[in-house]
Amino acid sequence: MAATLDIKGVEKTFSIDGRAVPALAGVDLKVEPGEFLTVLGASGCGKSTLLRLIAGLDTSYEGSISLDGQRIRGPSLDRGIVFQEPRLFPWLTAARNVALALENAPLAREAKRRAVDEHLALVGLSSFGNAYPHQLSGGMAQRVAIARGLVNRPEILLLDEPFGALDALTRAHLQDELQRIQQDEQITTVLVTHDVEEAVYLGDRVIVMAPRPGRVAHVFDIDLPRPRRRTDDRLVQQRARILETLEEISGESARPLATQPVGPLEARPALA
Amino acid sequence: MRIVTDISMTAALGAFRTQAPRTRARGWVRLVVTALAGFIVPLLALLLWQVSASRDWLPQQILPPPDMVWQSFVDMVKSGELLGHIEISLQRVVEGFALGAVIGLTLGFSIGLSPILDDYLSPLITAFAQVPTLGWVPLLMILLGIDEGLKVAIIAIAAFIPMVINTRAAVRAVPQGLLEVARCFMYTRRQQLLRVVLPASVPTIFTGIRYGLTHAWKALVGVELLASAEGLGYLLVWGRQMFWLDMVLLAMAVIGVLGFAMDYGLARIERRLQRWRIGPLGDPS
Ligand SMILES: Nc1ncnc2c1ncn2[C@@H]1O[C@H](COP(=O)(O)OP(=O)(O)OP(=O)(O)O)[C@@H](O)[C@H]1O
Ligand SMILES: [Mg+2]
Repeated sequence: MAATLDIKGVEKTFSIDGRAVPALAGVDLKVEPGEFLTVLGASGCGKSTLLRLIAGLDTSYEGSISLDGQRIRGPSLDRGIVFQEPRLFPWLTAARNVALALENAPLAREAKRRAVDEHLALVGLSSFGNAYPHQLSGGMAQRVAIARGLVNRPEILLLDEPFGALDALTRAHLQDELQRIQQDEQITTVLVTHDVEEAVYLGDRVIVMAPRPGRVAHVFDIDLPRPRRRTDDRLVQQRARILETLEEISGESARPLATQPVGPLEARPALA
Repeated sequence: MRIVTDISMTAALGAFRTQAPRTRARGWVRLVVTALAGFIVPLLALLLWQVSASRDWLPQQILPPPDMVWQSFVDMVKSGELLGHIEISLQRVVEGFALGAVIGLTLGFSIGLSPILDDYLSPLITAFAQVPTLGWVPLLMILLGIDEGLKVAIIAIAAFIPMVINTRAAVRAVPQGLLEVARCFMYTRRQQLLRVVLPASVPTIFTGIRYGLTHAWKALVGVELLASAEGLGYLLVWGRQMFWLDMVLLAMAVIGVLGFAMDYGLARIERRLQRWRIGPLGDPS
């Protein structure tokens, strides 16, 4: 069973050119085992930075991030991450890129091969197992990265805008597959997205982050049973409320939220 | 598990499959054309040489006619003399190049991987690289005498420099993003080295190896010119002293052709090693 992820008073400051850039300040967050948390927020508000800290890729920050009280000191096979960029190894085929994740997994060779095949099929790329990354489109590369993130079934899964480069149909399909796996295996999931509809459709909770410095500005509980219908009135209402909040935040920081894509059903908010 | 099968993907797959044989055929034709194109200028030069010889533009002692050079080539091959010189020269290059490669690659990896070692050694290596290879001859003559040791050492130095510099640059340029992926999957230091650093840096390292071999070959001829009684470089000096210009010309031609052949061989290996870099149309991308 997955552990409780506890983020307490996390502050992260980068220095760019000798100047201190606060990326995160006072982030407090508790994610229960099996919870699906989605994260919204303007570009540059520290979403990727937060995922990197949870993954254990960067341990120089203030505050604490722990699993069942154990402080995270580095990466672990129990925590999987799908980065914002596909990060495929250009000298390996798609199948072998997925297999990278199983290098140190305690599985027999045959089991690994089967897992790789299954996950390529899951993202609709069965026939591209032997293709090299330069032979894939951007969305296909991102799907290989998703397969690589899922293949060793981590207890905690971190996804950084995984469906950003996909067409609407493939995206909807992969959202449902991710949801199914997440529910079946009770994987604690943190998914960063710019798509409000995606955030409310998938999340048990949606957090909205505000920039400069990055912090959690609002938390929305999406108390709807699964499976959900995308057109459910309650989802549509939640979406409207979250969009309002995003607009308010963007008004406060006095810049347009040009990077927030809005679902096709929603009236596009006037850009400041 | 359901499989996404939309029309665009099936179409893309079709294109992906049918493209391979066609590009291979096109690539083959282009290879022949490229190879032929490379012969045009040398053939024109040969023609000019022949014309010049038959019209007596230059005295025979200065520019012997092509057939005379060809004849001495045939004679020297028959007597086994040429092969002996080639053997000696190749042996020196192989020994010197191997020594330079072992030191260059090891040192390049070490300073590429360790910032501390890099701080200590890189300035020295940069300075080292500024000294022309033959500039080492006087000092090494005192230390090693003028025997095989000297020649191998000079060739090793010449080969070492491009290899250490390229290996260091290659290792430092390994994308951090890929190393992070490896860390997330708990790769040991050894796995990171073998699965990420090495494959990512192979192309640049190989460029260094090719330069290293070219430099080694040039240094060989240089050092044989200065201190040797055998080898292709010696053939040049000897030919000049005896005023056998046909021998000078044929030695130069042999040096050029052998050097070209070695570089060509390495280039072929290089292409094989990085097939993943070849774009879908057969172009290196
Ligand atoms: N390695 C780094 N060095 C210096 N500054 C960094 C680094 N990584 C991130 N930052 C800074 O931290 C802030 C947050 O960056 P982050 O990538 O977490 O944003 P984000 O919310 O993921 O944005 P986006 O939606 O555009 O992906 C930015 O101001 C960025 O300049
Ligand atoms: Mg980001």
